[in-house]
Amino acid sequence: MYWGLKNLNNLLTGRKTTILILTVVFFFASAVCETPAQKKFSKTYPASKNVRLQLVNRTGTVTVEGWEKDEVQISAYLEAPAANINPRNLSGTIYIDLVKENQGRNDVGNVNFKVKVPYTSFVDIETRMGNLSVSNVRGGLVRANISSEGDITLTNIAASAVSAENVIGDIFFDGVIQSGGNYRFTSTRGNINLRIPFNSSFRLVATAPSTRNIALGSFANATMSFAGNGRQIVGRVGDGSATITVTNHRGSIAFIRR
Amino acid sequence: MNCEQCKEKISAFLDNELDEQIAAEMQTHLTLCADCAKVCEDFAIIIDFCVDDQFEEVDEPNSQALWCRINNIIETEVQPELESERKEKEARRGWFAGVFRHNLQLSFSQTLTAILGIALISSLLTVVGVKNFSRQNDELSSQTSVSETIFDKILGKFGLIETPQQARIRRIKEQQKAIDYWNQRVEVRRQNWNGKLRETFDRNLREIDQVVYDYNKILEKNPEDALTSEMLDSAMKEKMELLREFSEL
Repeated sequence: MYWGLKNLNNLLTGRKTTILILTVVFFFASAVCETPAQKKFSKTYPASKNVRLQLVNRTGTVTVEGWEKDEVQISAYLEAPAANINPRNLSGTIYIDLVKENQGRNDVGNVNFKVKVPYTSFVDIETRMGNLSVSNVRGGLVRANISSEGDITLTNIAASAVSAENVIGDIFFDGVIQSGGNYRFTSTRGNINLRIPFNSSFRLVATAPSTRNIALGSFANATMSFAGNGRQIVGRVGDGSATITVTNHRGSIAFIRR
Repeated sequence: MNCEQCKEKISAFLDNELDEQIAAEMQTHLTLCADCAKVCEDFAIIIDFCVDDQFEEVDEPNSQALWCRINNIIETEVQPELESERKEKEARRGWFAGVFRHNLQLSFSQTLTAILGIALISSLLTVVGVKNFSRQNDELSSQTSVSETIFDKILGKFGLIETPQQARIRRIKEQQKAIDYWNQRVEVRRQNWNGKLRETFDRNLREIDQVVYDYNKILEKNPEDALTSEMLDSAMKEKMELLREFSEL
C-alpha cells in the first residue's frame, strides 16, 4: 500500500516537471513565431528644403513625418525574408523602389518604413499593401497610393496637391485647403473623412453611389446640387479656387470642420 | 608603242610626216589594237571629207524666209496646246461654272431653296464637328459626362455622332482588353506570391468586381445613367491599376 502511494507520488511529480518544461518551451516557441526576425536599415541624406521623396513599397507600413532638419532620415525594419533595399539620391529626389529591387523574388517579408523629411518636401509614396501615414508636410505635393488594402492617414498637411487612393480601407485627411490646390481622394470600400478649416474655399465633386452617405456638415450651402438621386454632390464653398474630388464606391464621405 | 603614243601621232601618220621606223611601229600597233585602228579610220574619213569639200561654196541663207518658216512651225505647234489648256481649266471650274457659263436661269424660289439647303448642311456639319470635338475633350479630362440633348439623340440616330452608350461600350471593350492582358501577367506572377498576398489580392479584386457588377446591373436597367457610366469607368480603371501594380510583384 505504502509502496503504491510512493510510486504514485513520484509519477505525479515527474509529470508536473514534464508539463512545466513543455509549457516553458511552448511559450518561447510561440514568442519566436509571433515576432519574425527583423533587420534594421538606416540611412540619412542631406537634403534641400524642397526635396522629393519617392517611395514604392511592396508590403508593410510607411510613416513619413516632416521635421525641421534639412535632411532625410530613412529607417526601415525588414521582416524575413528580408527585402533588398537600395535608396538612391538623384538630383534632389530620393528614390526607394522595393518593387523593382525585389522583382522576381518568390517571397519577400514586410518592410516597415519610418521616414523623416524637411517640412517643405514633396512626398510621393505607394505600397501594394499596408497602411500609409504622412504628417507635418507642407510642400507642393503629397501623394499616398495603396494598390489594394490599407488605411491612409494624412495629418497636418498644407500641400497644394494631395492625392490619396486605396481599394479597401479608410482615408483620413486633416489639413489646409490651399487656394488653387487640387485634392483627390478615392476609395472602393472604406470611410473617407476630411477635416479642413471652416474658412476653406473650394469646388466640390463628392460621389458615393452605393451608400449615398455624403455628410457635408457645416460646409453645406445653397450652391450644392445633388445629382443622381443623392449619389453625387456638386457645389462650391467660398470663392472655390481649389478643387476637391472625392469618390467612394461603397463607403461614406464626411467633411469635418476644424 | 602604246595607245597614247599612237593617238598622238595619228595625225602625222595620216599626213605621212613620220619617220619610217615610227610609221612601221604605228602600223604594227594599229594591226594589233582595234581601238586605235578605229580612231585612225575615223580620222582618215574626216580628212577625206574635208579635202573633198574644201572648195565647195555655200549659199548665204535667206534670213527672212527662214524666220517665216520658223514662225509658222511654232504657231502650228502652240495652237493645239492652248486649246487643251483651256479645256482643262473649264473642267476644273466644275459643275457650277458650267451651269452659269451656259446661262442657266434659276427662279427665285429655286435660288432660295438652294441657299437654305446649303445653310442647313453647313450648320449641321459645324454642329457635328463641335460635338465630336467637345466629346473628345470630355473624355480626356474625365469630367462629369454631359447629359444627352434631343439634338444629340437625333444625330446619334443618324450615326453622325457617337452616343454616350456607344462611347461607353467602346471604352469598356478597350478597358477589358487591357484587363485581360494584365490578368494574364498576374496569373503568371501570382504563383510566386505568398499566401497572404494572394488572399489580399483576391479580396480586393472581388471588391472591385462586385462594384463593376452593380454598376452594370444599374446600366442594364437605365442605359442613360451618366453618373453610373462614369463610376463604372472609374471602377474599371481601378481594376486595371490593381492588376497592373500586382503584376509587377
